[in-house]
Amino acid sequence: MKKRMLSVLISTAMIASVLAGCGGGGDTSAPAPAADEGASQDTAAAETETQAPAAGGDVEEITWMFWDDLNATEDLISIGYRDTVERFNKDYEGKYHVNVVTTNLEEYYAKLNALVAAGETPDCFIVSPGPNLDVYVDPGIAADLTDYLKADGWIDTFNGGEGAFSQQTYDGKIYAVPLNIAAACVFYNTEMFEAAGISTMPTDWQGLLDACEKLQAAGYTPLTISAGTAWCLSMLAGYLCDSEGVDLAAIDSGSASWLDSNVVNATNKLVEISKYFQPTAAGDTNDVATANFYNEEAAMLIQGSWAIAQINGSNPDFESKCGVFAFPGTDGRVIAKSDSLAMSAKTTHPDAVIAFMKYFTDDTAQKYTAEVGGKIPVTTVEYDASKAPAQLAYVMDVFGSAKSTFGFYNESMATTEAGAFFDDTMVSIYLGTPVEEGLASLEDFYKNNVWNK
Amino acid sequence: MDKFLRDKKAIVVFVAPAFLLFTFVLFVPICQSVYYSFCEYNALTAPKFIGFENYKQLFTIDRTMKIALKNSMFFLIFSVVTQLVAGLVLAGLLTNIKKGRDFFKNVYYLPCVLSSAALGLLWMFVFTPKLGINQVLAQFGIEGPLWLMDTKGFIILPMWVIASVALWQYVGQSMMLYMAQISGISSSLYEASYIDGCTRVQSFRYITLPLIRPMVATAMSLNAIGALKFFDLIFNMTEGGPNHMTDVLATHLYQQGFKYFKYGYASAIGTVLLVLCLIVTFIINKFVKVDNYEM
Repeated sequence: MKKRMLSVLISTAMIASVLAGCGGGGDTSAPAPAADEGASQDTAAAETETQAPAAGGDVEEITWMFWDDLNATEDLISIGYRDTVERFNKDYEGKYHVNVVTTNLEEYYAKLNALVAAGETPDCFIVSPGPNLDVYVDPGIAADLTDYLKADGWIDTFNGGEGAFSQQTYDGKIYAVPLNIAAACVFYNTEMFEAAGISTMPTDWQGLLDACEKLQAAGYTPLTISAGTAWCLSMLAGYLCDSEGVDLAAIDSGSASWLDSNVVNATNKLVEISKYFQPTAAGDTNDVATANFYNEEAAMLIQGSWAIAQINGSNPDFESKCGVFAFPGTDGRVIAKSDSLAMSAKTTHPDAVIAFMKYFTDDTAQKYTAEVGGKIPVTTVEYDASKAPAQLAYVMDVFGSAKSTFGFYNESMATTEAGAFFDDTMVSIYLGTPVEEGLASLEDFYKNNVWNK
Repeated sequence: MDKFLRDKKAIVVFVAPAFLLFTFVLFVPICQSVYYSFCEYNALTAPKFIGFENYKQLFTIDRTMKIALKNSMFFLIFSVVTQLVAGLVLAGLLTNIKKGRDFFKNVYYLPCVLSSAALGLLWMFVFTPKLGINQVLAQFGIEGPLWLMDTKGFIILPMWVIASVALWQYVGQSMMLYMAQISGISSSLYEASYIDGCTRVQSFRYITLPLIRPMVATAMSLNAIGALKFFDLIFNMTEGGPNHMTDVLATHLYQQGFKYFKYGYASAIGTVLLVLCLIVTFIINKFVKVDNYEM
């Protein structure tokens, strides 16, 4: 009998120990280590880290899901977000408290979707506008924020008012709040341009090719870019498509084709300019390509303004040599991208979430965005331009004189998969696939996955 | 023992944990996955039954699936053949040396216990044009190829590179399996063969090989299944790129499921993978004949 009991006990213990491993993951409301304790923990432990909970039993706890590890990050914008969270938790101590669920960018949407599928949608989550946001708006996962924005004039603090929400608006309703704007520009090495005898910045396609030719003749690598990180090459392709008048909405609806002459021309231009890339572009990652620029191994870099912090952080001496101009030949159109916050439609603490969102767009956070983060603020905040990186003023000039903006090509297509397919096709064409063959594969993809849906 | 086997309650108690685990952690999810493979499902909305639509698209339209199948088959053949040969050679060599056997055994086995993700990143850096092998080759005036980006040929260079890294990582495992089997062979058999005039190579051919055949079948099955569901090295070295040219079934499944949230479609790929594993295991067990000898 004793043996049987022992067997039962051992078996129960085995099952319990196995099942214990299944519990607890994703419980973001559990008490977490205090901030100073958390700082000493390794980065793996920070993957689903929470901030220190406030004392008191009536505190409204909310969760915010973010795509970077706030304890380990060196990204200046993420550090600014961390400060904002700490500021919010301190100011609202005893009333609201935000717990942060962090993950790395690559796994962000997969983990967010897993939480949504499990019925544990975070109260607030960061998201990129475009098809990534569509996924949460269409099935009603993201809440309509229009009334909250209009209730107390919050919307009026944004630069351009309601116009600042064009990428976050669906059928007249706003589903996310932008936090900052980054514009894709051409960063250039002023010393190399001077040495190559280029005194005026290119304003059209031929001017860009001429500048590349002069730089190459002067012994410089004209352009550094990453094809190893596909979206970098795709960003250039997006500019070329837009300059040729490609209408993405028309392609998405099926009234235009990827085999149209304007797409072919744009892609031929991509092949044409690729002879000025650094020889290792095919394998270089985004970080390596950017390093080529700030290490003065190449004269130009086509990149978003988020790269300013990386450039200046890695080589502070380079700030004074770094100029910025708008991508030529786009008729005043600039690629712009923003981080945005969405609120769960099922949150039981909407007031806490809205209060939290407002901290990201208040003057303190927006000043930081410009003065430290090097991104364009979304509000009308006045910031000290002398504190901001020199390049931000150039980017602001480009952005301010832009006639209109458009999103990243891969984030403006019908689905995220279509965007990724576009990226891959451009890389494939750069690597030698004939233009017609590459575009035909893109056309086939749209036939099978977009137009017939 | 007979008394114990007659005690049905004890049997139930001991079998229950494994049965429950197998049922709820393996069997139920597999059944669920097979069901989802017939659905359009993105995890955010309820699954919608669409019949064989996912399979139709998988085998008639999806270009990446064709590439992934080709690459998985290449990986399967490469892994099974090279690990069989290299594992046997290493096991044969190490059982015949006395000095340094444990040292080399550990050296060859070490990559098996290291994290594949870390190794993938390490090798990715080694083959990155600006950082690794190409910089060494440049010292000798040789322009190295784009190890992980070249797209020429039926089986492209990155696949050969990744397959070679996988061989380096897992050959120790095959070697250990063969060595374990070889160490169980009675030394009297070898002594008798030497008395009869056999060379070491002949004794390996006529004694060792036939006697380790059961382990060959086991190791081949393990290698084949491992090769078919291979993921981590590829994901960390190329992420299936450029343009899906290095995708295998597992990376294609991951991208469809966790990047594009097409869980129904990803489940269809998973089902194909499961069926392939079953077929390959069946073929190996059917055609690698195992005779039981007294060792």
